[in-house]
Amino acid sequence: MNESQSVILIDDETDLLKALRRLLKAEGFQVACHTSAAEFLAAARPPSPGCIVLDESMPGMTGLDLQRELVAEGSTLAIVFLTARGDIPMSVRAMKAGAVDFLTKPVKDKDLISSIRMGLKKSADLELNKNEVDLLRGRFETLTDREREVLKFVTQGLPNKQIAASLGLVEQTIKVHRSRVMTKMRAESLAQLVVVAERLGITSQES
Amino acid sequence: MNWVIVAWTGATSASLMLAAIHLFVWIRNRKAWASLMFCLMAACTAGMAGCELAMMRVTDVNQLGAILQWYNLSRWAVTLALIGFMHFYLGAGRPWLELTVIGLRTLALLLNLFVSPNAYYSSIDGLNRIIFFGQAVTVVEGIPNPLMLVGQVSMLVLAAYLVDTTWRAYTAGAYNRALRVGSSSVFFVLALSLQTMLVLWGVVEAPIMASLFFLGIVGVMAFELSEDMLRSTRLAENLQQREVDLRRERKLTDAVFQGAPGLLFLQSQDGVIRRWNKRPANPSEVIETKIHDFFRKEDHPALSESLEKTFSEGSANFELDLLHSDGSASRHFFSTVQIEIGEKPHLIGIGIDVSAEHALGLELALQKEKLARVSQIASMSELSSSLAHEINQPLAIILSNAEAAQRQLELPVPNHNELRDILKDIVAADIRAADVIRRLRSILQRGQPVLKPVAPSSLLNNVLRLLKTDLDNSGALVSKKIPKRLPNFLADRIPVEQVLINLIKNALEAMHGNGTRGKSLILSCAAEGSGVRFSVRDNGCGLPESGDWIFEAFHTTKPTGLGLGLKISQTIIQAHGGRLWAEVNKGRGASFHFHLPLRPETT
Repeated sequence: MNESQSVILIDDETDLLKALRRLLKAEGFQVACHTSAAEFLAAARPPSPGCIVLDESMPGMTGLDLQRELVAEGSTLAIVFLTARGDIPMSVRAMKAGAVDFLTKPVKDKDLISSIRMGLKKSADLELNKNEVDLLRGRFETLTDREREVLKFVTQGLPNKQIAASLGLVEQTIKVHRSRVMTKMRAESLAQLVVVAERLGITSQES
Repeated sequence: MNWVIVAWTGATSASLMLAAIHLFVWIRNRKAWASLMFCLMAACTAGMAGCELAMMRVTDVNQLGAILQWYNLSRWAVTLALIGFMHFYLGAGRPWLELTVIGLRTLALLLNLFVSPNAYYSSIDGLNRIIFFGQAVTVVEGIPNPLMLVGQVSMLVLAAYLVDTTWRAYTAGAYNRALRVGSSSVFFVLALSLQTMLVLWGVVEAPIMASLFFLGIVGVMAFELSEDMLRSTRLAENLQQREVDLRRERKLTDAVFQGAPGLLFLQSQDGVIRRWNKRPANPSEVIETKIHDFFRKEDHPALSESLEKTFSEGSANFELDLLHSDGSASRHFFSTVQIEIGEKPHLIGIGIDVSAEHALGLELALQKEKLARVSQIASMSELSSSLAHEINQPLAIILSNAEAAQRQLELPVPNHNELRDILKDIVAADIRAADVIRRLRSILQRGQPVLKPVAPSSLLNNVLRLLKTDLDNSGALVSKKIPKRLPNFLADRIPVEQVLINLIKNALEAMHGNGTRGKSLILSCAAEGSGVRFSVRDNGCGLPESGDWIFEAFHTTKPTGLGLGLKISQTIIQAHGGRLWAEVNKGRGASFHFHLPLRPETT
């Protein structure tokens, strides 16, 4: 059992929690149970990647409320909704907010398990993406202010001469800055640098 | 100038003139018998005066005899006319007295005809010329005839008759007429009798001058009759004024009638309308308009009943459709009262158009009915959706448990303990599902609730068992307050349990945001009055506002839910003849109570 098999069940119906835990455990998942959203939030965050199987209609904080909270937090946990009383507007809202699936009770084990696997994969992807971005951000942090300015202009596709004119420097200085940026960001080509800048969300900052 | 001729011819012409006037009056008004009698009397008086004047100038005894015959005829007629006048004018004479006078007078007339030379004198000695008022007139010289007494007696009886008639008229209320006509005629008749006797017995020397006395009576009568005429003229004038007043009054009432809104009518007891302000929709074949013509045939019995009630009780109020002359109809409110007109019971009624209010009332009723239907449908849908949810839970539990068991069995070494637990849970969930279905069936089976004796404690315990999961999850501190001795009550168990479940679930939701304060749920039951009271008390967020409006359909304070739970609960409790109410706690939270009678009144 590795960590990528972590499933979190949140439902106010304890008997169902029990049944689902048995099922998922037999399937080889690592299962944690909570009877309310508040209880889940109060507990320590489960390691990512992981998939939450979430009941929508619970007293107090509903499933959608919890989803909103987790999205705002930037969590990489995937969410599969499992509800007894699901309607279309509710499912649309859930899916728009990034839910993997919206299942209704009673659920077939195959459907639930395939959704959970999808969720775990999505969570892992999110996690991976998050790790890469963190790495790139770390490299970006090593740049000086001037180098960051140069990076911005370069990724906008401006030639050295024009960048020099904009910053009030000679073209030769810009060339030096540019090669340093390439080195620090470990970019082998201009195209690679542009992709990195895009993932960090730098190009969009046009001011 | 001969004064005697002037006096007697004057009397004659005056009498004739008066006779002519009243003859004319009688011709114009044939019912004026008094005028005819007066005319006759005046004419005969003129005749008498003529005869007397002739006798005063006679020179031959034979000629005198002939004149006396005419004279007697005139006096007979005068007497008859006088009696006739009194009879018609005063209308108070005794018939037998009248007949006696006429009889005696007729006898005197006949005696005069057959006795020689006449009834006044047994023998006539000759004719004397005497000086009367400075004029020489002829008087008869002779021995008075005792038969003359008949005439005198007749005069006295006449006088007696006149006195009697006058008195009777006076006491009957005709004071002025009796005094003037009656007393003057009595006076003149008596005076005439006296004068006649004095002359006949030779005490006084004078010619026969009875006509002058009768002229006196005629004068008084003429005065009286003209007085009557004046009075009738005045009366006519008054009448005219009255008529003008009446016409004005009539115009006013017409204006009132025509101006009245709706229908205003006056009818007699036989249902015929005397006055009304509207044309009836279906005028009846006969000339008379009946109030029924304003109404539809099928409304006639109700109308008749109300009208009869008006006549028997004095007034009535009712509401019916009034037909208009264009065939349309509109709802009117009628108020009728009984009034007396000319001592006959009549009915005056007014009808005011209330079609707008009526339509509004109908629409309101319709809307209410619609709302009731909608809320019924909604409550059914809410009920079925909540039951679907409740049945889905155990099904989901069973399915997942069964699938888990299948996986266990596929393992090389299945965990038997695990399998046993799974099967136990499956059985429990199955029982739960069956219970939900049983409830659903009992709710859907509308009609007479099945009343069975229910022990309050067992009801409460059953509900707590059903809600165990919810209560455990909520973490609320549940305390029960049930006295040992409580009477059983008759109820349909499942709906009442459902009410308690609803109230407890509401309480749990109300306490959801309690946080560190902790949740406290107090369930109690007590005998109260002739019933049992259940109470659910929480320390949650309480009621938004106190008032019955929380029991209204579609009212909700929860983000989910249709707001029918309390409404349905109330319906169930009311169906048991009980009462459901809420109150805000002094500290925190709210309490819901319901009171059920031991035996609901089955109606």
